[in-house]
Amino acid sequence: MSAQPRSRPPAPTVLSSAMRVFDLSLGQMLWSRRSVFLGILLGGPVVLAVILRVVAELYRAPLQINGAMAAGPTIFGMMIWLLYIRFIVPVLGVFYGTALIADEVDDKTITYLFTRPIPRSAVLLGKYFAYLACTALLTAPSVVIVFFLVVPIAGGSIGAGFPSLVKDLGMLVVGLAAYGAVFALVGTRLKRPLVAGLVFAFGWEPAVLLFPGYLKRLTVAYYLQALVTHEMPQDSAVSLLLQVFREVPGTFASLVYLGVIIGSTLWLAGRAVEEREYVLEQ
Amino acid sequence: MSVVVADHLSKWYGQVIGLNDVSVEVPPGITGLLGPNGAGKSTFMKLITGQLKPSKGSIQVLGEPIWKNPSLFFRIGFCPEQDAFYDRMTGLEWVTALVRLNGVGEAEANAMGRRALEIVELTDAANKKIGAYSKGMRQRVKMAQALAHDPDLLILDEPLSGMDPIMRRKSIRLIREWGRAGKSIIVSSHILHEIESMTPSILLINQGRILAEGNVHQIRDLIDEHPHTVYIKADQTRTLAREFLAYDDVLSLKFEEDAVVVQTGRPDAFYARLTDLAASGSAGAIHEVTSPDDNLQAVFQYLVKP
Repeated sequence: MSAQPRSRPPAPTVLSSAMRVFDLSLGQMLWSRRSVFLGILLGGPVVLAVILRVVAELYRAPLQINGAMAAGPTIFGMMIWLLYIRFIVPVLGVFYGTALIADEVDDKTITYLFTRPIPRSAVLLGKYFAYLACTALLTAPSVVIVFFLVVPIAGGSIGAGFPSLVKDLGMLVVGLAAYGAVFALVGTRLKRPLVAGLVFAFGWEPAVLLFPGYLKRLTVAYYLQALVTHEMPQDSAVSLLLQVFREVPGTFASLVYLGVIIGSTLWLAGRAVEEREYVLEQ
Repeated sequence: MSVVVADHLSKWYGQVIGLNDVSVEVPPGITGLLGPNGAGKSTFMKLITGQLKPSKGSIQVLGEPIWKNPSLFFRIGFCPEQDAFYDRMTGLEWVTALVRLNGVGEAEANAMGRRALEIVELTDAANKKIGAYSKGMRQRVKMAQALAHDPDLLILDEPLSGMDPIMRRKSIRLIREWGRAGKSIIVSSHILHEIESMTPSILLINQGRILAEGNVHQIRDLIDEHPHTVYIKADQTRTLAREFLAYDDVLSLKFEEDAVVVQTGRPDAFYARLTDLAASGSAGAIHEVTSPDDNLQAVFQYLVKP
């Protein structure tokens, strides 16, 4: 009878299993309803950039932000920080990160993944990689279009600004990775992860960043600020606020902290998935 | 060696008992798990597939604990009850992607997927999106992903639900062939006649307890005393109804949208004739045959009556 032990292939490693879950999940994620929402979200900055460019071309006058002259690279830098890093990246992190496993549970497809010879944590990791690839692939074109539309305003040079574009794209990927990992943990541990995620991203983070002290170290944005390369306007209320924001650790230290945040939150999320029972509604 | 050994196994969902102090050994071969909705079948299936952790007691599958032991799934294939898929994938893409999770390379996984789809007779639809599959095809593609990696133990949760009569007959034949080929199969259903056509060995489950285990024939007489309801979705429901009215075992008949619902006093004879009717095509296409589980519920109420 077949119950006698049969020679069993070696168990796939977590990483190799995760890559196979990634293969399975990326297409699903790219063509999901959530990606339509992502497209709309990422279209916002592009529309704004078109408006700014049209206004600049029509009036042929430098733009002013709170009374300060703002050239194209400065406006682009502010858009990267305020629109992408402080808004779009956390929103993507919350909506995708908290749903990595929850989507499979809601769709009742989790059973197929949990009844294969792979660790459950590999399912989470593979879906996390798919989230990162999906959001990075969709965010990058939006940023590049905004760069080409906004940087030439008031004589800005595309050539000179190109290295900072590459750094900005890198920073966005790091931001997506960090927020995605944090919210993956929130999604696997809490009952109402979306609410908790939104409170963290748009309540806790903006609030504690405004105050001096150690609390801001319990945010992702604090470490991401160190990676911002752009000069901000210097003689306005905005610049004063940004100076407060600029109270940040060095670039290397920030990258290390962000690496620790990503690694530890993913590990904890993986542990939660390994231990948890998922009861599907019939 | 038993394929599943449960020892004082219990599972609670908060205050609700899903399975209550079950001790049972499932022998090799084909075993039917029979019980009405809410009896504990799904809980038992989830426990033996490691999706749930026992609240109390222990469970071993193929001689090893199943909870947090994913490598056992090299030897297990599971066909779940829920009708859930990645609808945008084709049948072949889906089965191949799942087989790849067993550590198989792309080309080999593709070949295994094709072979599995061939076994369940879905070769022609292999490159169609699953979203466009009928209910019966979806059932079959679920079976294909379960058997593609040639497991020792197949666990099939309501595998015939929604299949048309011809495919139902073919699937039953397939399951019996796998059993003869040395596979162990645990198959759940709320329809005794389905189970009976696959195996005489059953586990009777109700209210979280195993009521009986052993030979199916001991309870089938009881079952036959109760009218059996069959829901048939077809193109020509009126033609079908005319045919049914000629059978003396048909007790009542009513029409629903694109379907006819029949009560019969002799389910075996009725199913046999229905399959012949579907094969002949004289009453048009029959798309789906299901049986509500209140048939079995009535029998269980009778069985546990003091």
